[in-house]
Amino acid sequence: MKILVAEDEPKAGAYLQQGLTEAGFTVDRVLSGTDALQHALSDSYDLLILDVMMPGLDGWEVLRMVRAAGKDVPVLFLTARDGVDDRVKGLELGADDYLIKPFAFSELLARVRTLLRRGTSASAQTTMKMADLEVDLLKRRATRNGKRIDLTAKEFSLLELLMRRRGEVLPKSLIASQVWDMNFDSDTNVIEVAIRRLRAKIDDDFSPKLIHTARGMGYMMDVPD
Amino acid sequence: MLSQSSLVKRLTLMIMFAVIAVLVVAGISFNMLSQHHFRMLDEQALSEKLESTRHILSIQTPVARLEELRPQLRALLGAHQDLTAEILTSDGTVLFSDLKALQIPDRYKRADKEVIWEWQDQSHNFRGVTSQVEIQGDPAPGTIMLMLDITSHVHFFETLHRWFGIGLVISALVSAGLGWLVAKSGLRPVEQITKVATSMSARSLQERIPLEPVPLELQELILSFNGMLARLDDAFVRLSNFSADIAHELRTPVSNLLTHTEVVLTRKRDLDAYEENLYSNLEDLKRMSRIIDDMLFLAKADNGLIIPEQVDIKLEDLVSKLFEYYQLLAEDRGVRLSLHGRGIITGDRLMIDRAVSNILSNAMRYTPEGKEIAVEIQHSADKVTLTIRNGGATIDSQHINKIFDRFYRADPARREGGPNNAGLGLAITRSIVEAHKGKVWCTSSEGMTAFHFVFPANSGEAVG
Repeated sequence: MKILVAEDEPKAGAYLQQGLTEAGFTVDRVLSGTDALQHALSDSYDLLILDVMMPGLDGWEVLRMVRAAGKDVPVLFLTARDGVDDRVKGLELGADDYLIKPFAFSELLARVRTLLRRGTSASAQTTMKMADLEVDLLKRRATRNGKRIDLTAKEFSLLELLMRRRGEVLPKSLIASQVWDMNFDSDTNVIEVAIRRLRAKIDDDFSPKLIHTARGMGYMMDVPD
Repeated sequence: MLSQSSLVKRLTLMIMFAVIAVLVVAGISFNMLSQHHFRMLDEQALSEKLESTRHILSIQTPVARLEELRPQLRALLGAHQDLTAEILTSDGTVLFSDLKALQIPDRYKRADKEVIWEWQDQSHNFRGVTSQVEIQGDPAPGTIMLMLDITSHVHFFETLHRWFGIGLVISALVSAGLGWLVAKSGLRPVEQITKVATSMSARSLQERIPLEPVPLELQELILSFNGMLARLDDAFVRLSNFSADIAHELRTPVSNLLTHTEVVLTRKRDLDAYEENLYSNLEDLKRMSRIIDDMLFLAKADNGLIIPEQVDIKLEDLVSKLFEYYQLLAEDRGVRLSLHGRGIITGDRLMIDRAVSNILSNAMRYTPEGKEIAVEIQHSADKVTLTIRNGGATIDSQHINKIFDRFYRADPARREGGPNNAGLGLAITRSIVEAHKGKVWCTSSEGMTAFHFVFPANSGEAVG
């Protein structure tokens, strides 16, 4: 998966590049809108991450010209300006998502993965398996080591989300949004409680542990190495 | 422009013009009355003489002896210094003449009926009467002309006019002077107010203009001015506190970041120590990021930049969804959640979500184990109310009006609910509710705290 990052602030750009590279992506980084446009048109990327305020061409201008050239690549905007007009403008021009600075890297990563997954066909799988944990998505039933695990509807949704995005650190805000439709930061520790309860049912009596806490960032499910 | 000049100047001019106007009207009236009076006097004198002459002329019989009448006529008409007379018989013979060398135009010497006229030569003015008169022995009527010298009257009026003009100028000047004094002293309270207002600065907003010596007309102005000062003072204090709060709220995490990072860097450490430092930094940074987000939201709300979407929101559904979210926490803490009633409002779902959620999470934080958080929705024709009640410590009345202020915490040293709670939640709730033209307030008594939302009722459909 190849990503182009256009960010005129060198430090921020370098960190993005490092973070995304370590997350397994191939990342090209440019410092201006003109370079971004040139790269986007001459090379083939799976995703463009564009800062709105850039010297030369701004992010919107780059997007407009990329779309005008008939390229359908997904675009994620980064912006320090949080105006409704800005968002509307970006989305009207055909941006796929936007993030307002400052943002958590885990949040960016989650969105990048969502955008990249959007292109591929949604998995039609009806069962998922991780170590000895099996989840039946149709019957909405989970078993571990052959033992049936009783889950509430929300717990099941949470488990499904974590399993579908195996190996990804999911920030709490994303979990709240996907499972409870809470699209703003709540200053309570509901997610911690939910994870703790899920863990008690999934992990406590079993081994290996599947639910992992990425401290300060979020949660992830995977089979430990 | 008059309207832009000073009030004193304006009042002075107005007083002056008023005085001049009154004097001019009085002068003109006096002039007309005097003229009329003099004319009446003249006419009366002329008609008396006319009657007497007629009498003399009517009692004499023979025409030949008309000459004998002269002494009588002279006695009657010539004795008067100002009186001039001429009597002509029907054939034009002068019966009596006392013209004193005046060249009177002939037109005044003939008349079919009695006429009163005025005439003037180079230096004198006259008022006269010409009439037909029966003379005994004369077959046809003769003519009599009587004329009074009214030059002195005319002189009197000329003098009067001159002095009136001079008087008018003097009165204008005097009234201007007096007007200036009156206006100046009358406006002294305004000057005092101005002085106080001018001396006001951000430092002295607590000062108020005293009501005591101020005239009634200005009290309303002073009251509203003082009211404005009070509001300014309040806003200024809030703003100062707000800035101080921002500085404090951001300074704490920044200073944590600085010290912690510097200390870690003073010598080589193992990886765990670095990791620990980065995690700690991450926490502080998240807190700062969140404060910035919330502050921006509030700043936008203050400037009226929050424009809510307008969709129908079923409050009971919204609260149910929030309950689902908070359910886990409630079970964890042994707090019951309950919901009664329903109602539809128009607004921005995400914002209302956030507003209600802030209150719920607040309630969650303060409700002790075993108590209940009860949400009640009621709707009437023009409004929808949502009340969130929770048991717990009563909020002191001195705090209750301030809990919606930014960064307000009943106990400044206490930071409930961890580092994420910067004390902006309730302020954000209020901003959202106000952007929806609603109201939110809090009541607390006897271990029961209630937050009340009032929204205008959904205007579209009737809520069943």
